[in-house]
Amino acid sequence: MFCETLRMIYLGCFLLLCGLTHVMASYPIWWSLAVGHQYSSLGTQPILCGSIPGLVPKQLRFCRNYVEIMPSVAEGVKIGIQECQHQFRGRRWNCTTINDNLAIFGPVLDKATRESAFVHAIASAGVAFAVTRACAEGSATICGCDTRHKGTPGEGWKWGGCSEDVEFGSMVSREFADARENRPDARSAMNRHNNEAGRTSLNDNMFLKCKCHGLSGSCEVKTCWWSQPDFRAIGDYMKDKYDSASEMVVEKHKESRGWVETLRPKYNYFKPPTDRDLVYYESSPNFCDPNPQTGSFGTRDRICNLTSHGIDGCDLLCCGRGHNTRTEKRKEKCHCIFHWCCYVSCQECVRVYDVHTCK
Amino acid sequence: MRRRCAPHVLPAPASGCSGIKLSATRSCDSWFFFFFPPPFEVESQEQSGGGGGGPTARVVSAGGCSLFSSTLSRSFVARRDFSLQPFPFAMAGAIIENMSTKKLVIVGVILLLFQAFAFMVGGLIAPSPTTAVHYLATKCVDTVKQRQETKWFMPWGPNQCDKIRTFDEAMAKKIEANNIVFAVHIPLPNKEMSSWFQFMLVILQFDIAFRMHNQIKDGALVTIDVSLAYRDDTISKWTEMAHSFEQRKLSCNFTTTKTSENEGRHYECDLLPFMEVGSVAHKYYLLNIRLPINERKNINVGIGEIKDIRLVSIHQNGGFTKVWFAMKTFLTPSILIIMIWYWRRITLMSRPPVLLEKVILALGISMTFINIPVEWFSIGFNWTWMLLFGDIRQGIFYSMLLSFWIIFCGEHLMGTRLFAAWSLERGQVKMCESGLPTITELVTELGSHLTNNLQDQTERNRLSVYWKQVGPIVFGSFCLFIFDMCERGVQLKNPFYSIWASEVGTELAMAFIIVAGICACLYFLFLCFMVFQVFRNISGKRTSLPAMSKARRLHYEGLIFRFKFLMLVTLTCAAMTVIFFIISQVNGGHWHWGEHTVQVNSAFFTGIYGMWNLYVFAIMFLYAPSHKRYGDEQSSGQCITGDAGANSGEDNQLTTTITHVDGPTEIYKMIGKEAQE
Repeated sequence: MFCETLRMIYLGCFLLLCGLTHVMASYPIWWSLAVGHQYSSLGTQPILCGSIPGLVPKQLRFCRNYVEIMPSVAEGVKIGIQECQHQFRGRRWNCTTINDNLAIFGPVLDKATRESAFVHAIASAGVAFAVTRACAEGSATICGCDTRHKGTPGEGWKWGGCSEDVEFGSMVSREFADARENRPDARSAMNRHNNEAGRTSLNDNMFLKCKCHGLSGSCEVKTCWWSQPDFRAIGDYMKDKYDSASEMVVEKHKESRGWVETLRPKYNYFKPPTDRDLVYYESSPNFCDPNPQTGSFGTRDRICNLTSHGIDGCDLLCCGRGHNTRTEKRKEKCHCIFHWCCYVSCQECVRVYDVHTCK
Repeated sequence: MRRRCAPHVLPAPASGCSGIKLSATRSCDSWFFFFFPPPFEVESQEQSGGGGGGPTARVVSAGGCSLFSSTLSRSFVARRDFSLQPFPFAMAGAIIENMSTKKLVIVGVILLLFQAFAFMVGGLIAPSPTTAVHYLATKCVDTVKQRQETKWFMPWGPNQCDKIRTFDEAMAKKIEANNIVFAVHIPLPNKEMSSWFQFMLVILQFDIAFRMHNQIKDGALVTIDVSLAYRDDTISKWTEMAHSFEQRKLSCNFTTTKTSENEGRHYECDLLPFMEVGSVAHKYYLLNIRLPINERKNINVGIGEIKDIRLVSIHQNGGFTKVWFAMKTFLTPSILIIMIWYWRRITLMSRPPVLLEKVILALGISMTFINIPVEWFSIGFNWTWMLLFGDIRQGIFYSMLLSFWIIFCGEHLMGTRLFAAWSLERGQVKMCESGLPTITELVTELGSHLTNNLQDQTERNRLSVYWKQVGPIVFGSFCLFIFDMCERGVQLKNPFYSIWASEVGTELAMAFIIVAGICACLYFLFLCFMVFQVFRNISGKRTSLPAMSKARRLHYEGLIFRFKFLMLVTLTCAAMTVIFFIISQVNGGHWHWGEHTVQVNSAFFTGIYGMWNLYVFAIMFLYAPSHKRYGDEQSSGQCITGDAGANSGEDNQLTTTITHVDGPTEIYKMIGKEAQE
């Protein structure tokens, strides 16, 4: 909580300093769905598509056609961002969102950096994940059975069941998240690739579960299905991909529709990126100092881990500026007895902590 | 070409007539002729002895078989081959031997075409056999404290319940665990269930997050208060179908290290069997699940932080059911007709059928039993026992098939004693040549051999001889039956019951399965041993084949051919089953072939089902007695006396006399004649 308040103060400074709302054509403004509470799936009013900021016409059309899955789309972006914040919790850039800005990550994502790549990938995976989940919950009625094949959906279902919801989730994510990435520039190409990488990673992390139900429960008859992993597993996987993201260079081609920018691996001696790899073509700022242009908040007053030698350790996180240490007394719940749902009986203990923050 | 000449020469003395049951020699006699139909080429229609029963000329005058130890034995000796015949090759003269290679190939090709058709029906027409549908339980809040009637909580649609998304929300609103209801509506919106789905099983899976201070205790049990309701239209009230308190053991493990870093990650939990209904008679089902907490009774304490409940429901696809029914409806009459035809042939023979013939019939009956499409009734009636009934039918067929293999091998096992008798025979012929001084001695010796053989044969032809081999089958299937009754039988009453849920039940179930497994191993050991014995015998016979008389050789060759044919077909079928099973298990379920999608799993089911039907069909057809026997009295007599071929009236006369006389003189005559030839 403490950290949060600090961040807000910084944010305030930011907005004062810059005095601008960063709205760019390439910025996925619709991610602000994740922040607005009115879009939650339990909201009683249906979502008004016109009220969602930053939708391109294709997205708007999609929203109007499938308004019942829009809450899941919002939910998906939200779990993507939450996962981003979990994965980057100890790093200089910690996936901070700005509450009262439409560009929820600030200007950080304006550049085609690794961070941009990660956020796009995890958000598109999150949308696919949440839609699939909503399908299983029955809160969306159009999932699964696609009507493209024979007969009415009811008949298709009775004849041969429906296709897996997973495919539907990916489809929604592809239709919606990629809708705006159709320009011929390099950034669009990068976003398309990274969005797809997120969805592919989700599909790769699905695991097959089977049940035998033949004669006396033998495996003579076996039914298998794909099960979605815990989203944390996707986050871990994407984080690995972030660490091993491929740097690209932009190439321009003259095509019939004009100049088209494509991406090519920068280093030929590395393996070219696969469908699952993240790509970027601009280097990240170091995020040590606040910089309104790059969207860096700096690491001042961030809590660091004294004992760690990793990026969350005080040396690296504080960019060599050193750290302050103070002692805090916290009241904590302890000796708790948990019941599975919503009741915890605890005692209250007071513990003393040393808190290290960056200078 | 070998096949064309049937092994009708060797008399198979005893099996039908000797000893116990058969007293009328007439029947004994007439069924000899079944065993010795004329060679194919001979086609002795011109000397038709009256098409039907045995040859009247040869009716043995002796009152009954019971007397045979002295009387008959001598007459057997007279027809020397009788005594030396090791074993009742009950089915000498089956269609398969009398069929020309060309016809056999044609039959084979037709069967293969049907086989290919069966695979294609499954692969191209039918959808995948089953569908699994995911459900994520909606967390409803039961706001009213004490209510009179059960309230049903709908996860979506009109009248949906008050939902919460996460339990943090519940914590904030101070909702008690006992007021949280997990609601799952089967199927998903805009769909409805259908009785074509045949069955529905539901699997339960908990999403449990790891918390340092709230871990799953070892051997934690979850107590579930679950109720199931149905309705047939979207507006009427829900009708309760079942309600139960169930316990399930949580077997979860946490793959990463248990540190606070990894809090929030989910445990990997085993799938829990949850519910099984044997018929899907209603359109909509609703499950309401509660996890009641009672701290004093230690109910649902230490089960970790349950985040979500997921269910997976599995049902058979309607399209597959339709294809399956169509197949059954088509196969039933085909097997039934061939079975009736087969049994008519057996009964026409005027001798009682031998064991092997009965077993083949039983195999046909069990196949028909599986085939009869009683499942059609499940479309109209709510017969939940259909699943159990299907298991029982399948079990009966499997045990029948296994028994058939054993008995087939057993009945083709040429005992070692045969060889003694047989070599004796050869010696005897020599002696005859040398002037027959000690014929009486010879007769006594042969007689004793014969009696032994006859006893052996009598024993062989009874099912009780095979108790050692059939016992494990029966016992194993019985174990599986008990197990099935314990699981699916109880599920008729309580669809949430699972034998695996309780400690004792698991042990019991494991015990049954292990015993059944041991039985299966025993059985296969026996079977392999028997097959090995038969092959050893065959190779033994092979070496001595050239030295045999033509008729005897043909007989043995026929036997060997028949056995090897069945071995080959059986092994092919078994191998096909195994290969396709593996393919369907390894493969993701379907192949894309250009535009078409081939459903491998469905192809496996229809193909293998069709294959075993064709197998039974082929056995009943090919191993039925050949009708060529009808005109064969004369020629078989001929075969007995002289080796096949010569068709002289003298021989016939001789044969007819043999049965009447029993005495050294006649034997002398006989052997003399043999010696001359």
